[in-house]
Amino acid sequence: MNTNPDESTLALWLDDELTGAELAAVETWANSQPDQLAARDEVRRWRATMAAAIPASIEPPYPDFFNSRVLQAIREQNPPAERTVKNPSSWRSWLMPMAACSGMVMAFWIGKTSQTAIAQEVVNAPRAIPVGPVVYTPESGVKAEWIAGSKASATVIVLNGVTAIPDATDFSATVYVPMDREIDSTADSEAQPEVGP
Amino acid sequence: MKNRRQWLRAVVSVAAVVLSNGAFAQDDPGKSNIGRVGVTVYYATDGDPKVAGAKAAAVSQETAKRLRGEERLRFKNYRTLGQEVQPLLRSYESWAQPLKPSDEILVRFEARSQPTAQVTGLDLELWLSRKKVLKMDAHLEGKRPLFVLGPEWRGGRLIIAVALAPEEKAGP
Repeated sequence: MNTNPDESTLALWLDDELTGAELAAVETWANSQPDQLAARDEVRRWRATMAAAIPASIEPPYPDFFNSRVLQAIREQNPPAERTVKNPSSWRSWLMPMAACSGMVMAFWIGKTSQTAIAQEVVNAPRAIPVGPVVYTPESGVKAEWIAGSKASATVIVLNGVTAIPDATDFSATVYVPMDREIDSTADSEAQPEVGP
Repeated sequence: MKNRRQWLRAVVSVAAVVLSNGAFAQDDPGKSNIGRVGVTVYYATDGDPKVAGAKAAAVSQETAKRLRGEERLRFKNYRTLGQEVQPLLRSYESWAQPLKPSDEILVRFEARSQPTAQVTGLDLELWLSRKKVLKMDAHLEGKRPLFVLGPEWRGGRLIIAVALAPEEKAGP
């Protein structure tokens, strides 16, 4: 019969963790094993040494407020310098708001004056440069040519490609009332009487 | 008796509808005049102007000089074939038919914006023989009309002039 204990049982015996029949069986076997007995004695001495060095129980550090406690300890070690008491009549107390207000007023004034300048530029802008009209000829073959009138006195559009009106068309039935001078806007009032060709 | 009442009720209803529509049209601010536009058709030719007809009127010397001032409108003779002045409405289009009763030449226009003392912007179309041949944005000034050198007719050309017309004077 094999009476040798397995490794786990032997480890428990070395730590004095076995009890009852197992302990008796291993003790019977160990009595013929002086090196195992020496090993157990060595373990027992080491355990006694450790128990003497380490207390049986120790209070763990409080995790709560750990950082604040550290900071408090630092403050206690380095007491802060006494704060300088602000003088309510210090020049900074009124200079800063005054500077801000003056900056706002100046920005408003600059914006106002620049807008006025732009408006004056637009009002006084020369109008001599005529801008061409947007011309569109839906009929195919018809083209419109824009010509700036002489001295910008008129806008002239020349239609090319329009179908001629048949000569048979008679406009004599047109009820035409001789032009009243007040609606003759196509005539330049400042023009001098022409010298006929 | 009953029929009489029904008829009376129907007549009153119709009258109410007609009167309300009339009042609505009168109150429509879009129909208010914001200016007047005159469209004149001139006949320009280097030949005999009599071919335009006996009723064609001679133009004033000022108008002739102004037309001759533009190189492309330079002809020896000018005649006025017709003219019509139409109001420029705030938000509706107007049609000028200067050769009435002929619709050979029509000008449609409407305001592009509120006219100012300097310029009046128009969306303008020229219709010839019931076809739209020109569409443009015209900027009319008091003394700066728009001249369109249009179709040929009887050896000459028709010139369509569009200009601002002064406000109508109050009646006597």
